[in-house]
Order: sequence, then C-alpha cells, then structure tokens
Amino acid sequence: MSDMVKLFVNGVEVEVEAGKNLIDAVGAVGIEIPHLCYHPALGADGNCRMCLVGIEDGRPPLVPACKTPAQEGMKVLLDAEHIKKIQRDVMELELINHPIDCPVCDQAGECSLQDYYMDYDQRESRMTVAQVNKNKKMDFGCGVVHDQERCVLCGRCVRFCREITKTGELGIINRTDESRVNIFPGRPLENRYAVNVVDLCPVGAMTSSDFRFQQRVWFLKKSPGICHGCSKGCNITIDHNRQKYEDDIIYRLRPRLNQQVNGYFMCDEGRLSYKQQNENRVTQVLIDKSEASINDAIQSCLAKIENSSSPLILVSPNCSLEQLVAIKALADQIDAPISGYSDGYIKAGDGDDYLIQDDKSANRAGLNLLEIDTTKAKFEERLATADLLINFDNDLSLSYSDTELKEMLSDTVIIALSSQKNYLTDLANILIPLAAYSEYAGSLINCDNILQTFDKALSKNAPLDDAAIVAAKLGGPMKNATDIFCELQKLIPALSNTELQNIPAEGLNLNNSEASNVTA
Amino acid sequence: MSLLDYVMIAIRVAFSAFVPLCFIAVCVWMERRGAGFFQDRAGPNRANIYGFRAAGLVQNLADAAKLIFKEDMVSGHIKHKFYFILAPIIVFFTSLVSFAVVPFADTLVLGGKSYIMQGIPIDIGILWFFAFAGFAVYGIILAGWSSTNKYGILGGLRSAAQVISYEIPMALAIISLLVVYGTVDLNEMAQFQGGLLFGFIPMWGVILQPVGVIIFIIAAFAETNRTPFDLAEGESEIVAGFHVEYSAMKFAVFFMGEYVAMFASSAIIITLYFGGYQIPWFSTDVLINYAKPVALLLMILLPIIMYYFTGWIKRSNVSHYPRENDPRVFEANVYIKCFWALVVVVEVLLLTLLFCESGGSMAHIFVTLLQVCTFLTKVTMMIFVYIWVRWTLPRFRYDLLQKLGWQTLLPLALLNILVTSALVVVFS
Amino acid sequence: MGAEVKTMIRKGSSLRERLYLIEIFVGMATTFRHFLRNLLDNSKLYVRHYPEVEPEIPVRWRGRHRLTSHDDGTVKCVACFMCQTNCPANCIMIEAEERLDGKAEKMPKRFTIDLLECIYCGYCVEACPVDAIRMDSGIYSVTDNNRESFVLGIQELLETPGAFSEEDYKKGGA
Repeated sequence: MSDMVKLFVNGVEVEVEAGKNLIDAVGAVGIEIPHLCYHPALGADGNCRMCLVGIEDGRPPLVPACKTPAQEGMKVLLDAEHIKKIQRDVMELELINHPIDCPVCDQAGECSLQDYYMDYDQRESRMTVAQVNKNKKMDFGCGVVHDQERCVLCGRCVRFCREITKTGELGIINRTDESRVNIFPGRPLENRYAVNVVDLCPVGAMTSSDFRFQQRVWFLKKSPGICHGCSKGCNITIDHNRQKYEDDIIYRLRPRLNQQVNGYFMCDEGRLSYKQQNENRVTQVLIDKSEASINDAIQSCLAKIENSSSPLILVSPNCSLEQLVAIKALADQIDAPISGYSDGYIKAGDGDDYLIQDDKSANRAGLNLLEIDTTKAKFEERLATADLLINFDNDLSLSYSDTELKEMLSDTVIIALSSQKNYLTDLANILIPLAAYSEYAGSLINCDNILQTFDKALSKNAPLDDAAIVAAKLGGPMKNATDIFCELQKLIPALSNTELQNIPAEGLNLNNSEASNVTA
Repeated sequence: MSLLDYVMIAIRVAFSAFVPLCFIAVCVWMERRGAGFFQDRAGPNRANIYGFRAAGLVQNLADAAKLIFKEDMVSGHIKHKFYFILAPIIVFFTSLVSFAVVPFADTLVLGGKSYIMQGIPIDIGILWFFAFAGFAVYGIILAGWSSTNKYGILGGLRSAAQVISYEIPMALAIISLLVVYGTVDLNEMAQFQGGLLFGFIPMWGVILQPVGVIIFIIAAFAETNRTPFDLAEGESEIVAGFHVEYSAMKFAVFFMGEYVAMFASSAIIITLYFGGYQIPWFSTDVLINYAKPVALLLMILLPIIMYYFTGWIKRSNVSHYPRENDPRVFEANVYIKCFWALVVVVEVLLLTLLFCESGGSMAHIFVTLLQVCTFLTKVTMMIFVYIWVRWTLPRFRYDLLQKLGWQTLLPLALLNILVTSALVVVFS
Repeated sequence: MGAEVKTMIRKGSSLRERLYLIEIFVGMATTFRHFLRNLLDNSKLYVRHYPEVEPEIPVRWRGRHRLTSHDDGTVKCVACFMCQTNCPANCIMIEAEERLDGKAEKMPKRFTIDLLECIYCGYCVEACPVDAIRMDSGIYSVTDNNRESFVLGIQELLETPGAFSEEDYKKGGA
C-alpha cells in the first residue's frame, strides 16, 4: 500500500492515496469529479475542463483536477456555486452540437455525457441557431464506427492510438466547430487493439460494428470473467442477457481492469472470441450419430472404457486447473496415459510484446504444473497403440489436417467431450457436449505464471456439465470441488494456506511465491 | 289401506321432496335477477332456447349443464376422500330432510279420513327441524377439514363457532313460542295461527312474539350461512371458505344445499310466525264453508291481475335499443298467450267447483290447493327477504358477529321467555 | 401548525343508530325502492346493451396498440427499446437493425407485442420519444380462439389504423 494523505473535500476530511491526481485519489473513496478527457491509462490532457475544481490555498480560482496531485491538507471545493456553474457551462458547450439521439445511441446507459447531464446540468438548451451537421456512421476500420456529431473531442481515442498502440491513425483536424476526429485519407484504423477506442470513448461517438444495435446496455448482465483466447488471460466483463423466451447468450466482451495482467485493455480478437461461446456449439448427446440421453452416453462410455485394453485420454490446454485435476485423477483410475498435445493451439509469431501471445490456449502452464505430457512424439506413439481415445475438448483439427486425423484414428474408438463442433466431433463414436468457459467456474495459470480464478457467468436454459463433472461421472475419483481444491493445494504450495474465495481478484502471482516449484 | 291412502302418501312425500328442489331454480333466478334490480342492472337475461329466455330462467339450465359437465376433480393432497365426498351430501341431505315436517296445507279430510299434509307424519315437529338444521353444519365442518386447506379449515371453524352462538338464541326464541302455542307440532301451530286475536287480528306468531320473530329470523340467517352471516365463505377473506377445494357437481351440491336450506328455513319461519298456510281471516273451516264465493271471487280477480301482469310483460320484455323486428316482442306475445291459456284453464276448473255440491270433497281439495298456493307464496316472499337482505347488508366482522350472538340475542331471548311466560300465566 | 383541522362528525352513536335494526330497515327500504323502480320499468336500468350497442370510445381510451408510420408508410419506430424497458408486463419484444433509408439510424427488425401479457397501462406510449407507438386504435375487444393470434408482429401493428383524427388525438392530451 502506498502512502496515505489526508485532505478535505467540501470541508469533509478524507484519507486518500498519495501520488495520484485528484480525480483518481478522491474517486477511490467514492467522491466523483466529473471528467471527459482524463483516463487513467492515457493520462491527463486537460482539454475538456469538466474536472475544474477549487483549491482553497491561494491558487487560481479553478484548477483541473486531472492535473492536480493530491496533497496533504489540501482543501478541495466541489459543490460551490461557481464550480457548479463551470460544470453547467462546459456541459452546455458540449451539447451545443450534440444531436441528443440517445434513443438510437448504443452508448446510452453508460454514457458520461448522459450521466453528467442528469447529475450536473439538467438545463434546457438555450441555442436558437441550427446545429452544425457533421458526418455520421463513418467506417474507421477494424469494426469501429464513428459518429462525429456525438463526439465531444476529448481526444481519448487519438491518445490511445498514439500512446498505447503507437500507430497514430487518428487525429483531430480543423478548429472550433469544424473540429473533427478523423483518420488520414485512405488509412483506416489498423491495429489489433482498435476496438478499445469504443470503450474509451466517453460518449457514443465510437461504436463497435459488432455490437451495434444488438442490445441496449441496461439489459445486459455484467459478469466478470477471464478471456480464454490466448495464454495472457485478460480480465474481461462478460455482458450477457437472456431475452424473453430465449437462451442466455453473450453479447459482447469488454476488458476489465487488472494492472497485473492486462491493464485497461484487451485485443480485438479476444473481444470477438465470445462468438465461439454462442455459435457452433455441441448441444446434443450422440451415440453413433443418433441422439441419446446423457445417462445412456455415460453408461455406454463406461462400457467402452471397461472393454478397452489401452485407452488414451487427451485434454485441452483450455481446461481449467480443476478440470485438469479431475481428468488426471480419472486417467490414474482407469490406468490410461494422459496427453495434452496441442501444438495446433500455438500460432508462432502471432504474438506481440503487449497483450497478444503466440499460444492461443488459456492454461498451458496448468498442463505443465500437473506434469501432463504435451509432446507430439509421445502422443502419436500412445495413440498408435490405443484402442480408445477419450478427448476432453482438445481440438485436434488445429494440430492435424482432416485426412491425417482420419487415418490416425481409423481403428480407434473415439469418445469426444466437446463444447465446440469440429472435425473430431464428427468422427466421434460417442459425443457428449461440455459447458463453455462462461458456464463454469475455475482457475487458470497464464503465461506470466499468474493464477486467476473466474466464476460462472451464464446460466443456460439447458445447462451442460463441465469437464470435471463428466470426468467424475466417468468414474473419476474427484467427485466434488472440495476434493479438487485439496488436490490443487497439494500441487500449488501458494494455495496451501488459503481458501478458494481468498485468492485475490488481481490473481496470484506464482513467481513471487518462494515455495513455487512451477517451471514456467 | 285403500288406494287413496297410497296416492296421498305419494303426493305428500313427493311434494316435500321435489318442491324444495324445484325452488332451487326459482331461488337462484330470484337471487340473480333480484341482485341485478337491487343494483340497477339487469342480471342474467341472455341465455335462451330458440329466443325464449323465460325472464332469465334459461340461464339456470346453462349453469346446470356447465356444472354437470365440468371436470369433477379431487386434488391429490386430499387424504380423506370419503369424508371429502360425504360433506356436500350431508349438507344437501339434511337441508332437504329438515323440510319434511313442515305442513304445507291443513289436514285434508276426504271420505271421512284425514290426510296430514307434510312429508313425514311425525309429531316432534320443530325438534326435527332443529336436529337436522344443526346437523348441516357437520357437513360444512367436514368439508373444511377434509379439504386439507387453510381457507377451508378456517371456513369450517367459523361455521362451527357461528352455529354454537346462534343455535342457542334460536332455540330460546322457540321456547317462548312454545309457551304461547303449547305444542311442538308444526301443523297444530299453523292451525293455532288461523284464529283471531280480539276478533279481528290474525293470531300469527309475529303478532304474539314480536321480539322472538326478530331473534329467530336473525338466527335463521346465521344458520343458513347467508349474508350478513356468510363468514364461512367470506370470499374477500378466505377465498371460498369451506368449499374452496370443491368443483363441478360437488360444488353444485353445496350450492343447491344452501338454497334448499334457505327454502326450508323460510318455510319454518312462515310456519312459526307468519301463519303457515293460513290465509288471514280465512281459516280452514271458513274456507270450506264458503268455497263457492271464494272461487267466484278468484274467478273475478284472476283476469284482472293477469291483465296488469301481461301489460307489465309487454312493457318489460322488449329491447331497449333500436332493433328491427324485435324478437322480444314476439317472445312476449307467446308468454302472454300462455298465461291467458293458463287463466282459462283455472277459470274452467273454478267453474266446475261452482257446480259441485258445497262442503264436499271438491271443496276440501280446493281449499287444500288454495292453502298450498298461499304457503308457497309466503315462502317465496320470505326467500325474497333473504335475497333482499343479502343485497342490502354487508358482512359482519367476526367479533361483531359473536358479540351480537352472545351479548345481544341471548339476553334478549331469555328476557323474552321471562316476559312471555309471565304474560301467559297472567292471561290464562 | 397552521394545518386546517376538519372535525368529522362521527356517526352511529345515537340510540336509533345503535339499535341497528331501524337503520337496517331504512337501508332495506332504499334498496327496495331501486328494486321496485327497476322491476316496474326495466328501461331505466343503468346498463349498456353490449354487444348490440357498442360503447363510444373516447380519444384517451387505451385500446389495442398500433405503430405509426411516416407519410411514405415506413415505420416511425427507431427501436430505442424505451417501451420495452418501461413495460411493466414485459410484453414487448424488439429486435433492432440498421436503417438504411436515411430517416433514422436504427429501426426495428422485429417488434412483437403479446396482447395476452399486456396490461394496457399505456407506459409504452408515454415512453416513446418519437410517437411511434400509440393505443388509439379504438379496439377494445381483443378476443380469439388461440394464443398465437394475440402475438402481434410489426406488420399487424403497422396496418392497424388509428380511430381518431390527428387533431383529436393531440387534443386528447396524450
């Protein structure tokens, strides 16, 4: 914890963190200072003037809170009449040419301008001249749609492209009411984090073409989660909703602040990875391509395992630690070798030095922790002798072509447990659907050796079992979450003295733990 | 026993068994149309057979058909199905049987033999009525209990407590009446009321026992679970009370039981306090002696009454909105023709009486029929009072109901016995 | 302080009223007067002879819903979901899509009202920012034999005509 300083807000003493500016410091104790252009990831710009506050120590009458560090004994004035007036005046300025098309604006409900109008303004417009018409629905590329009329010219998006992605596609051109955010002619947004400007935009000027008009944001349930798109494990907010008479589905993913992992942002690819959770799902239990009940399928699997002389268990590197523990216990029980071969999940050279990683699986470090073999040679050697393959959601079609797969698995009975349809699920003798990661709780170890937990976000109309439960049904000894967590505590010394719910929200960095025996 | 004896037994049993049943339809009809008129609306008047609505009576047929064909269900949670089914039967049966001792005409003398005009020739009279009216509440309590439903059991409990509080003043009111009449036999009571007080006032119970009649009527309302004492149903508080779990015909039996009880208790009130089958100033003997003049009087009165009645039908049975070839006018004309035909038949019958020997068996039968008509008219009027009260007074609060029973009616009834007995001792 | 206190005379304490019976007879006389009047002349009943005589629907009556359209027949609705958000019965179901004819940015792809769930409160009309949904169709009797026909789609809602002139509707204070 950093040092604390005491200061006064509207005459009331509060204790805040030192070294931050007033917006963040005072905001952390629940006192809001309105601001449009300031964003903690982008730093203070001081162009919107919405955060002007009074400091009663002989300074100029008004100072921007975003550029003023919190200091001991400071007397901050927020509710004086002249502060309120400046807030109203700034709001009036911003609203001169604002179209106020909240009914059709996707930002409505999470719009700073809308909220501030209700909190600080609530005045009728005094404008009698016609509004300046600007361009609407401009395609900026990368799925970003820009509406110049709604823009308040805070420059967050411009600064994001300059400071974070260092690509600088956006700029503010012209002056006064001719000012616009725009791209250079013929050079649209072209970076892999571009859609973050939609989240950054305090108003509805930047909208995502993917989410555009899909839902009103106030209908969305916002559940925290961890992105499984790559081994970074970015923290996300899963925005999902169950519409009347329909199923609970995800409408968008947004980055969630975690300074230890991803900061404020996430990549565009990860943002769209929610579609895998909604589409192309396996929902029906199939035995030899004909529909069956889950109990019949389990019985049939048990019979097949019983009759098999050399079964092989394959796990996905996306499985949570809990699932891996349960599946490994099952493998020990039925005396089957277990493999985590998944080279197909690694896209060499795809990663960058920011968030995107080569490894597109979420929990490879977990595989290593449990000492599950991932080499190609051993997998192929074991598969050659195996007569039964039990595949826990590993998409082998990423690692092999379809013809290769068909050849390799020609004389093997396949039990596929999968959340997504792929070539292997087509081949499977028994197919059991699994829950996707938004439908179960678990923990992951990311590429930086940080252990993070996530909770169940969606409740489907027809809930599916997750891999750990299916492993238990197939005869695995790990029957419940407590057993599994005890096993995890044995494996990870850092967990030995803690409970599941005490794992910090930021994640547990296993590198810092001296007792760690993990080889990353 | 001669054939006539058997016929007379059949007639009197049939009368006391079927007339209450027929009156269910009349009661329901009166209740609905009456409620409508009390509240400035029409009541059910749309159900018809080929356009004939019979002033709304056809609605009863529709309701009966509905109740018969409805699913008769017994919920799975009901454990004691036998008692559950028994309960409405008890309610209906006791109501029906309690009417069996009420005389609907004076003893008929034919060929030197007298025939008593009540369902069961038993001389315990009013005690029989008490026994069965008190027993009816067992049906309600049983229904409430066997429903395994909190509303049902609340309804049953309320009914039980209510019966205890109101049977006592009712019985005490009767005691003072018995002191006056000196008999428990209902037929003798009715004959007693045929006399005249001071030579010009009919000796009806209502004249002799003005306080008793009020107590008795209030208690009778409570006994039949009618408003303002229908707390056992209390739909605004306990949904439907004791019959909340009943459907279709089982509900219908409760429903019919209530109306039969209303009929029976009206008949009792009439017999005890309003002269029974007696026509005021025309006792049975007078009627038999002057049968011909009475018949002549009726022959004159009947067409006059019918003239006004048909006029009313003509006025009332039309559509009160612009309508081409109003079918209701045609309907009204058919009714009017039927009624005039009826009048003609009655006139012919009365005419034959005029040519019979005076004081003979025809005169006896004529008087009996006249008394039956009088009795039914009085009962209908009493039923109307029941309905009238229901659509005028709101339901009692439960504590006020008990307070009225114990703190007002009971002392009043005791005082009444005291005063009555004193007067009887003084004047006899 | 200063508040005006009005003392109400508490009724029911006089002997006559406490006897109760007399008041009962007074009440019964009142109801009997009504009974007699209606019995003797049933044309005086306070009833409407529905369905033969149809009621006159005032402008502000909340009847079945309809969607209004622009002059060229295209839907006015901009799919802002205000009505759906506001609906206490959750009977409105909307799906939005991009509008390409330049009248607005957004329009409904699907706009469904389940009349069986609707409670006819009129909140949707209140909430609508563009006067796209109204309840001025004057249709007060919504009856049918199957559930499906109570679920109105966008086409049926658009085709329902308003029962009143624009002037009357505006005057109605909606």
